[in-house]
Amino acid sequence: MTTHTDAEQPGREPVDESPGEAGTPPAPAATSRWRETLGILVRNRLALFALVVLGVLLLAGLTGPYVAPYGFNEVVVEDRLEAPSSAHLFGTDNLGRDVFSRVLLGARVSILVGVVAVGISLTVGTLFGLVAGFYGGKIDDGIMRLMDVLFAFPALLMAIAVLAILGPGTVNAMVAIGIVYTPIFARVTRGSVLSVREADFVRAARSIGAGDVRLAGLHVLPNVLAPIIVQTSVSLAFAILSEAALSFLGLGTQPPNPSWGRMLSEGRAFIQQAWWIAVFPGLAIFFTVLSFNVLGDALRDVLDPRQKSAIESRGMSA
Amino acid sequence: MAGYLARRGLQAVGVLLGVSVLVFAIIHLVPGDPVRLALGTRFDQETYEALRQRAGLDQPLVLQYFDWIGRALTGDLGVSFRSGRTVMSMIVERLPATLSLAAAAIVVALLIALPLGTLSAVRQGSKLDYAATTFSQAGISIPDFWMGILLILFFSLQLDLLPPSGYVSVLESPWGWFTHLLMPAVTVGVVSGSILTRFVRSSVLESLGEDFTRTARSKGLRERRVIRRHVLRNALVPVVTVTGLQLAYLLSGVVVVEAVFAWPGLGRLALDAVLARDYPVLQGAVLLFALFFLLVNLTVDVLYAFLDPRIRY
Amino acid sequence: MRQGSKLAWLLALVLFAAACSGGGEGVEGEGLEDGGGGGTEAGAAGTEASGGTGGGTLVAAISSQPDQLDPHKTTAYASFQVLENVYDTLVVPNTDLEFEPSLATEWATSDDNLTWTFTLRDDVTFHDGSTFDSADVAYSFNRIISQELANAFRFASVKEIRTPDPQTVEIELTEPTPNLLANIGGFKGMAIIPEGIAGPVSGGDGGGGSEAASPSPGGSGADINLANEAVGTGPFALESVAADGITLSAFQDYWGEGPNVDGVEFRFISEPTTALTELQTGNVHWTDNIPPQRITELANNDEVTLETIPSVDYWYWATNFNREPFGNPKVREALSYAIDREAITQAAKFDAATVNQTAIPETSFWSTDYSPYSHDPERAQQLLEEAGVSNLSMGLMVTDEFPETVTAAEVIASQLGEVGINVEIQSETFATWLDRQGKGDFDAFMLGWLGNLDPFGYYHSQHLCEGSNNYQGYCNEEVDKLLQQAATQTDQDQRKQLYDEAVKLIVDDNSYMYLYNPDVAQAWKPGLSGYTIRPDKAINFEQVELPQ
Repeated sequence: MTTHTDAEQPGREPVDESPGEAGTPPAPAATSRWRETLGILVRNRLALFALVVLGVLLLAGLTGPYVAPYGFNEVVVEDRLEAPSSAHLFGTDNLGRDVFSRVLLGARVSILVGVVAVGISLTVGTLFGLVAGFYGGKIDDGIMRLMDVLFAFPALLMAIAVLAILGPGTVNAMVAIGIVYTPIFARVTRGSVLSVREADFVRAARSIGAGDVRLAGLHVLPNVLAPIIVQTSVSLAFAILSEAALSFLGLGTQPPNPSWGRMLSEGRAFIQQAWWIAVFPGLAIFFTVLSFNVLGDALRDVLDPRQKSAIESRGMSA
Repeated sequence: MAGYLARRGLQAVGVLLGVSVLVFAIIHLVPGDPVRLALGTRFDQETYEALRQRAGLDQPLVLQYFDWIGRALTGDLGVSFRSGRTVMSMIVERLPATLSLAAAAIVVALLIALPLGTLSAVRQGSKLDYAATTFSQAGISIPDFWMGILLILFFSLQLDLLPPSGYVSVLESPWGWFTHLLMPAVTVGVVSGSILTRFVRSSVLESLGEDFTRTARSKGLRERRVIRRHVLRNALVPVVTVTGLQLAYLLSGVVVVEAVFAWPGLGRLALDAVLARDYPVLQGAVLLFALFFLLVNLTVDVLYAFLDPRIRY
Repeated sequence: MRQGSKLAWLLALVLFAAACSGGGEGVEGEGLEDGGGGGTEAGAAGTEASGGTGGGTLVAAISSQPDQLDPHKTTAYASFQVLENVYDTLVVPNTDLEFEPSLATEWATSDDNLTWTFTLRDDVTFHDGSTFDSADVAYSFNRIISQELANAFRFASVKEIRTPDPQTVEIELTEPTPNLLANIGGFKGMAIIPEGIAGPVSGGDGGGGSEAASPSPGGSGADINLANEAVGTGPFALESVAADGITLSAFQDYWGEGPNVDGVEFRFISEPTTALTELQTGNVHWTDNIPPQRITELANNDEVTLETIPSVDYWYWATNFNREPFGNPKVREALSYAIDREAITQAAKFDAATVNQTAIPETSFWSTDYSPYSHDPERAQQLLEEAGVSNLSMGLMVTDEFPETVTAAEVIASQLGEVGINVEIQSETFATWLDRQGKGDFDAFMLGWLGNLDPFGYYHSQHLCEGSNNYQGYCNEEVDKLLQQAATQTDQDQRKQLYDEAVKLIVDDNSYMYLYNPDVAQAWKPGLSGYTIRPDKAINFEQVELPQ
């Protein structure tokens, strides 16, 4: 079964093929959907590759401190700018630190930033979108105009301003990025909610006296998950890049903690002398972002083959 | 339509007012003040007090806000703390560079995204599809400052083909304008194009599965014609949305690319204003960006009606 | 696409608007240079400025944009890079940093050292055609003093400025001020502007702070807005100010020898790779945007000429005396022994800096030969034990505005880690950094002092108990006494001795932990002549000639 969610298009009839049994929570259907999803993911080689990369990344994030050959701030100035060798797999940076260890340890920061920042915008944005779409009218107007204000504010400036208020650092960078991406989730969710709000199964549930919270949480939300999940995977990638952009400006992860973004931007000053300082963290970002996006694409194909792209992306590359 | 536009216009004013309050609140919440910064490391209390008073910063915040918004409504955005110039003149001076770059980058992005996205959708699952996906992922994940520097090192330092940096007004020299614009536009355009490629692909895919496509095919129309006439036209709607958002984003400046190519755009102006706590400049710039955003959104919505006959306002 | 054409429309409209509105200040005269150097038309910019020497236009890439061009108000180095070529001061430091005549031909000091008499040149014309005389000097100095502008503190000992005749200026002091020449001519922050050009100024009362109902920055009232216009007496006149550069044109009535080029175009290029590529491909003649790690390579590159010279700047770090345990001298001493200054300097500046445990570089007469600390982690640990401090965790505040502070902090953190001190690096934007410094909200910070010439500038406001820049909270009465004596001591050797004594105490107490004096590094096109690299980083293009 599919649920057509049409986020931004006014004037179209929502197509809904969900079963008519009123009041039945869609749980069983969801379970089989997940099984189907997993099956297709496994068949899709690119998606499988993405899963493996993310698995490795997760492993690196968890075990990094134990398996890294050197400490993240083991400064040996005499050994600086050494090319990749057996002693230093990815070479050394301008302070003589082991680039391989720093890339490995940087995985934790990148995963955390991605997951937490998107977690924030996902939670807050979805809630706003759900409420706005579900109730409509003045509430909808109020919430969405607020989101518009946030949306109209340039993303990078917003993040910088938030960081300037909270102070720089990884955690605050997560919050700042989370705030920046909140309106997108609100929009996506609201659009989808609008299209299922008047669907038969929702009306039926309402008619047998289901309360608002129950209606929104149990009947509406599960049926608008597809675009939200896709938006999540895309945002994870952008969140990691946003951290890189903020680190470029010195506002993200604080030195000497390794952040791929910071390594990359500092490495550009040595581009003609020591390419390895920046290229390896760059590759790490590339594969991570690639994996999140491929996974997102695959999920979209699986969850909703006919889904009109309700995903809005918003680059924030400084 | 007229009623719709009026309603949207009213909403836009509301959003602009909201943005004005937000930017004012945020910039004043940020620690650090412009006068302290202007004095640099060498600090003197009396000089500091005198300067603060002269800049009106000793007034209550609410008063400062109404003073500013009142004058902004008459088109007076105030005077920069840092440069002593009017905010309006600083913005106007940089607008041509930003508009040039944003427009050129969108053109580059569409030149990449439309063919690549369509092809990879039509041949879904083929090698070309994978290549296109990989390219668009690379485009998204390569930071723009890297791409910019690599372009400079290759096309300027190695080949000596293009000027490494700077902006030339199109009025002064159209050719100079073009050659200076090329590398920054490609740098920005590849990133935007990569994002757009994904959307073109997915909406063409969807369009391919729609009833009207099946109908057209069943009528025996040739594939090329089906795709050009029916699929693409319908696929354009979401693409226009994303293109609009990208354009709005580019119009608010691309700080890093501007830095790499010494491009006198609005992004740098706004960033410097944040960093220097130059309140009037930041407020003016953000208001302008919000205006861009709303205008682009409105244009996109109106375009929908042209592109998709099913949409009516 | 439809959107495209709409944009093109909008673009055309805005360009048109920009062209119209720009007429007043910016755009005029542009494009004339394009033809190929030789003999630009006279009178283009309305001033007497014009080429005709056929020397071509020098293009210089500087790394940031000047904030504003009022020499009395700005504190930005980028501004002074431009203003150095536009304005003059009464006296000027030569390349050995000794003071030479400029707008003043000679000066004398009264027997009580309280009155300085300057004799002025009589052949000097401002860029607007008016003649320079003593009233302009009094006006300029009184503007700085009475409006409490950025350099007002340099006139703290000035009681009155008198102008007995057009060619004479008398400065009366409240106490002997041996460094008066540095105070009035150290750099272009004390530039001479034409009388009355920036509105009325109350004179003579020596900093009573009387407010001359003066216009807000950029406001009207005055004839011109010095923030983005300029009327000086220097070799070049300001021609146009734009978002990506500033153009100067040769001033024909300049009192000195130059200039030899038609004009100077300053371009703002912040990315070093870009600036160096511009230099190597020949679009730019001169740049100072050179990262230290590229110096060796560029020195061996035929496409550029690169020179380095020790600067007068110094970089240091300091702890907050008002926060425990940094009030304890043993803890500070431990920090001083725990760090490896050589490694820090190498990391931050490669070979382009000299380690120094005091402020003033060894090339200066005023340098104090004193370096009591060595890299000795054991000694550091022992001192920490004696102080009863263990498991110390501290913040170190740095700023990306000066990336070398971040790099140095990473090395410091690593080295302090070796003696069991956990350092949290706090990299702030400079505005926040200054705010926290001002409020005393820090454990430790790192920064530098740039462009000082006299030991007064190096040591006083930083280390006096009540010094306006003594953020670390240092107070040693002995040091206060020595510094105050030194400030008014007119005998050079005795003055130097007083400073030496004070500096040793400052270093022993670790008021500042001095790290290094960086080099100046500048590069230009081979064949460019008449340019001298200077320790104070003033860049003067008066004598420059372009390569043939």
